[in-house]
Amino acid sequence: MTAFLQALASGLALGAIYGLIALGFNITYATTKTFNFGQGAFLVPGSLVGVSLLLLAAGKPHFGNLTQAEMTMTAYVLATVASVVVVGAIGIALYYCAIKPFVGAGGLNWVLSTIGFGIIMQNSALAIWGPASIAVPSPLGSEVWRIAGAGIRPQEVLIAVVAVAVMVGLDIVLRKTRFGKALRAVAFNPQAAAIVGINVEMIVIAAFVISSALAGLAGILIAPITTASVFIGLGVALKAFSAAIVGGLTSPRGCMLGGFLLGVVEALVGLWRAEMREITIFLLIIIVLVVRPGGLMGARSVEKI
Amino acid sequence: MDNRITRRTLSALLVSAGMALSLPAYAQNEIKIGYNADQSASGAAELGLSGLYGFQAAIEDLNAQGGVLGRKLVGVVRDDAGAPPKSIQNMNELIDNEKVAAVVGPTNSGNALAWLHIPQQKKVPVISHVATATDITARYAKEPQNYIFRVSMVDREQLALLAAYAVKASKSKNVAIIADTTGYGQAATKDLQEILTLHGIKPVGIEKFGPKDTDMTSQLAKLKAAGADMIITGSLADATAQVLKSMEKMDYYPGLLSTWGSINTPLVNIAGPKLAEKTVFAASTTEDASDRAAALHKRLVAKHPNMPAFVSAAQGYDAVMLIAAAIKQADGTDGPKLQAALENLGKVQGIIKAYDKPFSKEQHEALGVADFHLAQWKDGRVVKLDDPVVKGLTAADLKR
Repeated sequence: MTAFLQALASGLALGAIYGLIALGFNITYATTKTFNFGQGAFLVPGSLVGVSLLLLAAGKPHFGNLTQAEMTMTAYVLATVASVVVVGAIGIALYYCAIKPFVGAGGLNWVLSTIGFGIIMQNSALAIWGPASIAVPSPLGSEVWRIAGAGIRPQEVLIAVVAVAVMVGLDIVLRKTRFGKALRAVAFNPQAAAIVGINVEMIVIAAFVISSALAGLAGILIAPITTASVFIGLGVALKAFSAAIVGGLTSPRGCMLGGFLLGVVEALVGLWRAEMREITIFLLIIIVLVVRPGGLMGARSVEKI
Repeated sequence: MDNRITRRTLSALLVSAGMALSLPAYAQNEIKIGYNADQSASGAAELGLSGLYGFQAAIEDLNAQGGVLGRKLVGVVRDDAGAPPKSIQNMNELIDNEKVAAVVGPTNSGNALAWLHIPQQKKVPVISHVATATDITARYAKEPQNYIFRVSMVDREQLALLAAYAVKASKSKNVAIIADTTGYGQAATKDLQEILTLHGIKPVGIEKFGPKDTDMTSQLAKLKAAGADMIITGSLADATAQVLKSMEKMDYYPGLLSTWGSINTPLVNIAGPKLAEKTVFAASTTEDASDRAAALHKRLVAKHPNMPAFVSAAQGYDAVMLIAAAIKQADGTDGPKLQAALENLGKVQGIIKAYDKPFSKEQHEALGVADFHLAQWKDGRVVKLDDPVVKGLTAADLKR
C-alpha cells in the first residue's frame, strides 16, 4: 500500500513537470499549428541562467555549487522571474529564425529548424557553462514530507502547485481577456483575425514567448530535483510532448491531464517492471490516438468532404 | 643554359638538404602524446576533463625537468564528445597525422571498445586512464604484443571488492542489484551476478532505471519487498545520488555500495552531505590519500576551480608518468619498443602509488583490487572506510 502511495506521489510530481512543458507545446500549436521541437533545450537556459544569477549574487563564479544558505525564497523567485524573461526573449529569436520563414508555407521545414535552433542553444550553453551539472538546493529545504508513509519533497509539491496555477491562469487568460480572445481568433482563422484588425504576427510572437517562458519556468523549477545541466532537457521534453499528444495538443487542460497521467502510469508500471515503462507509455499513446485522434481532451476534428 | 640548370639543381639540393636537416631536428625536439577522451558530452565527461588536467600537469612537470630524453613533451588533445565514430576518427588522426608516441584515453568504455584495433594494428601504446570495462585490456591479451594498458579502476576488480563487502556485511544474505540501462550499468549487473554466484548467492532482486531518471522509488519498493539489506549499484554519481534521494523518500536504508563514480562531487552536491554518507564505494585514491595527491589536488583546483573528479586527474597524471618512463627506457618512441618497455618498467613514482613493475606480459592493469580501498563521504570529504567488516575481509573473500 505504501509502495502504491509512493508511486502515486512520485508520479504526480513527475507528471506536473511534463504537464507544464506540454502547455508550452499547446500554446504555439493552437496559434500556428507549429511547435518548438527544441523545447527540451529551452529548459537548459531556464535552469542555468537562474542558477548562475544566484551564484553571481552570492559573489561566486557563474558555475559552481549553491549552498542552502544562498537559496532563499526571495532569491529563488527573483531568479525564476529572470529565467522566464530571458528564455521568453529567446522565444522571439526562435520565432524569427526558425518559424517565421516557414509558417504557412506547408511542409515540415519548421520541424528541422526548431530542432536545429535547440541544438545551437544547447551547444552555446555547453560553451558557456561546460558539461558539469550544478546541484541546486530547493528554497523549501530538502526534508521529505510524509503522507501515510509515502515521501514527497516540498519542491515536488511546489512544481505541482505552480503547474496547476499556470494552467488555470492560462485558461482564464485564453477565455476571458482580449488578448486571449485575439489568440483564439488567430488560432481559428488567421486571415479573418487580420481582417478584424488583430495584429496576427504580434499574437504569434506572444505565443512563442509564452511557450518558451514556460520551458524556462520548468527549467528552474526542476533544477533542484534534476540538477541544472546542459543535458537535462531532451528526455523530459519528449515525455512532455507525449503528454501533450495524449491529452490533446489543442487543449491546455488536456496537456496537464496528459502530463499527470503519464507520470502516474510511469511510476505505477515501474512498480511492476521498470523496463516496461516506456513500452506502456508509448502503447498508451498509440491506443489514445486510435480511439481519440485529437487526444483525450483535444477538439474532435471533423473533416467534411 | 647548363650553368642555370646547375645553379637551379644546386639550389634545389640546398633546399632539400636544409629540409632534410631541419625536419628531423624539429621532430627530435618534441615528443607528442595524444589525449582522446570525452570532455564535453556524456555524463562521464567530467572524468575526461579532470583526466585532462592531470595529463597536462604531468607534461608540465616533465618539461620543467627538461623533458624526456632531452626532448619537450607535447600533449595533443582531442575531444571525442562521447561518440564512438568521433573517437575512432580522433584515434586515426592522432596516430597518422600527429604521429603521437602514445595515447591516453578514453573516458567511455564503449569508445575504447570501438577503436582498440587501431592502436593495436598501428603499434601505438594506449593507456586507459578512465574507461573501466574489463574487456579493454583483455581483448588483445593473446596477441604477441598487446598495446592496450590501463591505470584505472577495472570494473570487475571493484565489483569484486563491493560484492565481498556486501556478502560479509549482509545479515540476511539478501543482496540486490540496481543499475542504470546504459552499457556501463548492464555490464556491471552481469559482472555482479557472476561474482555473487561465486559467493553462492543469488541476488534477491535486479532492478534497472534510465540514466537520467530522478525517481527510483518504484524499483526500490520491489527490492524492499524482497527483503534486500545490501544493494549494489551500477551507475554514475548523479544517478547514485538519485537512488539515495529515493531511499530517503521511502525511509528505507539498506547498505548501499557503489563504484568509484561516487567519489565525484555530484554525489555529495546532489544528495547533500548527510545523505551522501550512506553509500560506500571503491576508490583508487582520494585527494587526501597522500602528500603528493594533496599537492596535485591543490594545484589543479587553483587552476580549475570547478574540477569535479580528482581521482581521474591522478590516473591521467600517472598514465603520462608511466609513458614517459617507458620512453626513457626504450630510448625513443618506436611503438613496439615502447610497448616492451611498458611491460618491463622498474620503479615509477606516481600520485596514486609508487609503481614497481606495474605491467608485464600477462598483466596490463597498473591498479588492482589490492590498490583499491573502500571509501565514504564524511562531512563533505572522502575518507577511507575502516569498519569491522572491512577489517575482516581477507584475500579469500575477493572472488572474481
